[in-house]
Amino acid sequence: MTKDLRFASSLIVTGSVILAVVVLAALLAPLLTGWGPEEIDPAAPLAAPGGAHLLGTDLNGMDVWSRVLYAARLDLGVAVVAVALAVVAGSLLGLVAGYWGGWADDVLMRVVDVFQAFPTFILALAVAALFGGGTLNLVAVIALVNAPAYARLVRAEVRSIRELPYIEAARTSGAPPWGILWRHVLPNSLTPVRVIAPLNCGWAMLTLAGLSFLGLGVPVPGAEWGAMISLGTADVVAGRWWTSVPPGLFLLVCVLGFSLLGEGLQERADAVRR
Amino acid sequence: MRVLRFLLRRLLQLLPVLLGVVVLTFLLVRVLPGDPIRTILGPNATAEDAAAARARYGLDQPVWRQFLDYLGGLVTGDLGTSIQSGAPVAGELAVRIGPTLELVVIALALALVVATALGIWSARRAGRFGDHTVRIAALVGNSLPEFWLGLVLVLLGYSVLGWAPAPSGRVDPDTDLSLLTGADLLDAALTGNGPAFVSALHHLMLPVLTLAIVIVAPLLRSVRASALEVLASEAYAAAEAHGLRGRLLLRGYLLRATLVRLPALAALVFGFAIGSTVLIEYVFSWQGFGQWALRGLLYRDYPVVQASVLLIALFYVVVFLIADVVHAALDPRVRIS
Repeated sequence: MTKDLRFASSLIVTGSVILAVVVLAALLAPLLTGWGPEEIDPAAPLAAPGGAHLLGTDLNGMDVWSRVLYAARLDLGVAVVAVALAVVAGSLLGLVAGYWGGWADDVLMRVVDVFQAFPTFILALAVAALFGGGTLNLVAVIALVNAPAYARLVRAEVRSIRELPYIEAARTSGAPPWGILWRHVLPNSLTPVRVIAPLNCGWAMLTLAGLSFLGLGVPVPGAEWGAMISLGTADVVAGRWWTSVPPGLFLLVCVLGFSLLGEGLQERADAVRR
Repeated sequence: MRVLRFLLRRLLQLLPVLLGVVVLTFLLVRVLPGDPIRTILGPNATAEDAAAARARYGLDQPVWRQFLDYLGGLVTGDLGTSIQSGAPVAGELAVRIGPTLELVVIALALALVVATALGIWSARRAGRFGDHTVRIAALVGNSLPEFWLGLVLVLLGYSVLGWAPAPSGRVDPDTDLSLLTGADLLDAALTGNGPAFVSALHHLMLPVLTLAIVIVAPLLRSVRASALEVLASEAYAAAEAHGLRGRLLLRGYLLRATLVRLPALAALVFGFAIGSTVLIEYVFSWQGFGQWALRGLLYRDYPVVQASVLLIALFYVVVFLIADVVHAALDPRVRIS
């Protein structure tokens, strides 16, 4: 048991360190590179790594290292904000539906069913294609396709919590319904959300990058990892690795940070329960 | 016989769901911004040209009329005419679906075998070095952007090592492969075209590997988790205490009980794989269903969007149906009725 806990903590620590490093790199980008993310070096399109450009330049003569760093701001920011929105909206809906039940609950669950009848990336793709790209739209799209899962998760928790003796006790002692919901039901129903949300952030980053890769995300010349990989696609066949490998590697490491964190939290929750 | 009756009844139950999908897609694609006609007209087109094109595709009719026409077509297997290409959607779909299914089915089969073997291996060493290594590898696999992985494999396999063909197309055109199903490997086998078979296999190598790597991770995690549960169960402990030999214990008690939950998960992963395929097809210029549907979506090609959404929904529910049947076959406690 202690061994499981130790493995869980090592996962949590590793994940957190990775994320902290990425966040720091994103914040300190101006100190780590002399080039702006959209600054063009007309003398050196597709320059190989080394010299004036640490990781070379892309087709447009923009510095890859600088773009990779600045992109972290956008990729992390969009993912975290979108998941936060999904958590808040989904949890509130699930809370209300689960506590009161009735027709509102039925309607909500049918809507959730429709959403979950499609693979999530396909859904995000369709919504993004129909509503158009752009950073704000992407936040909305990613929040929208993730919210139903939280609604379902929180609703299930609330339905079991509302039958527990301490809720009954609060009710009979005359506490107002909203007070019970806010003070007693909500905090306890969020337990599974805490484990899912980090994993979901990683998934949101992959979705954002995937949409941008297909040209549905952040418009050119915005620095975003998926869009950078997309621009470097043609270079790969010619053996030029530096335009697409670094942004993907950063994306992988960042998502892995979230995965390690989520897995560690899950493992710890399991170990404590046993 | 009972299985057939069960399948038939479940398929009938699916009809209202699919009708809902048809209605929703039909309305949404028309309500949301974007005009399919503008994309097929040249920059010098006049308002009369636009009106004529609109009439040609029946878009000048009231929406309820368009919908009834579409529904009437669906019943007879007519999916409408693509606004972009002017060709029947059913025909385009028929040649696009084979290549994608070929990719997904081979990758899923490969991933299932690897996930089962590695997952059970890992569970039997739970908490030890080998287990931790497998778990970390699965986490990395779960975190990989599939489109980037595809590019890295192209970089290594084609640009550096020269083992793989260039990421454009599914078979060498010199092999004169005749089109039957669109699934090139199958077509080559059916027509006895040896060189085309080899070429198709060669082209499948990298995309299949890409897809298999990203879908093996979630499967592996689940197999490991359910194998751990079986290992801790009383039934398994009893079988072990009776002194059953290792091989019998593994096949009869661990493997089957572990695999019971796999079908439902495989169905879920199938949906995930369809999403990934859109990206992987793009990387390898696969010209399959994913690229076709994406193009339709981007150009607001109404009939193409409707057909693709309906097909994805249909596939998804049918795959879950298959999963239910396989589950019943694996788990003696579950009866199909």
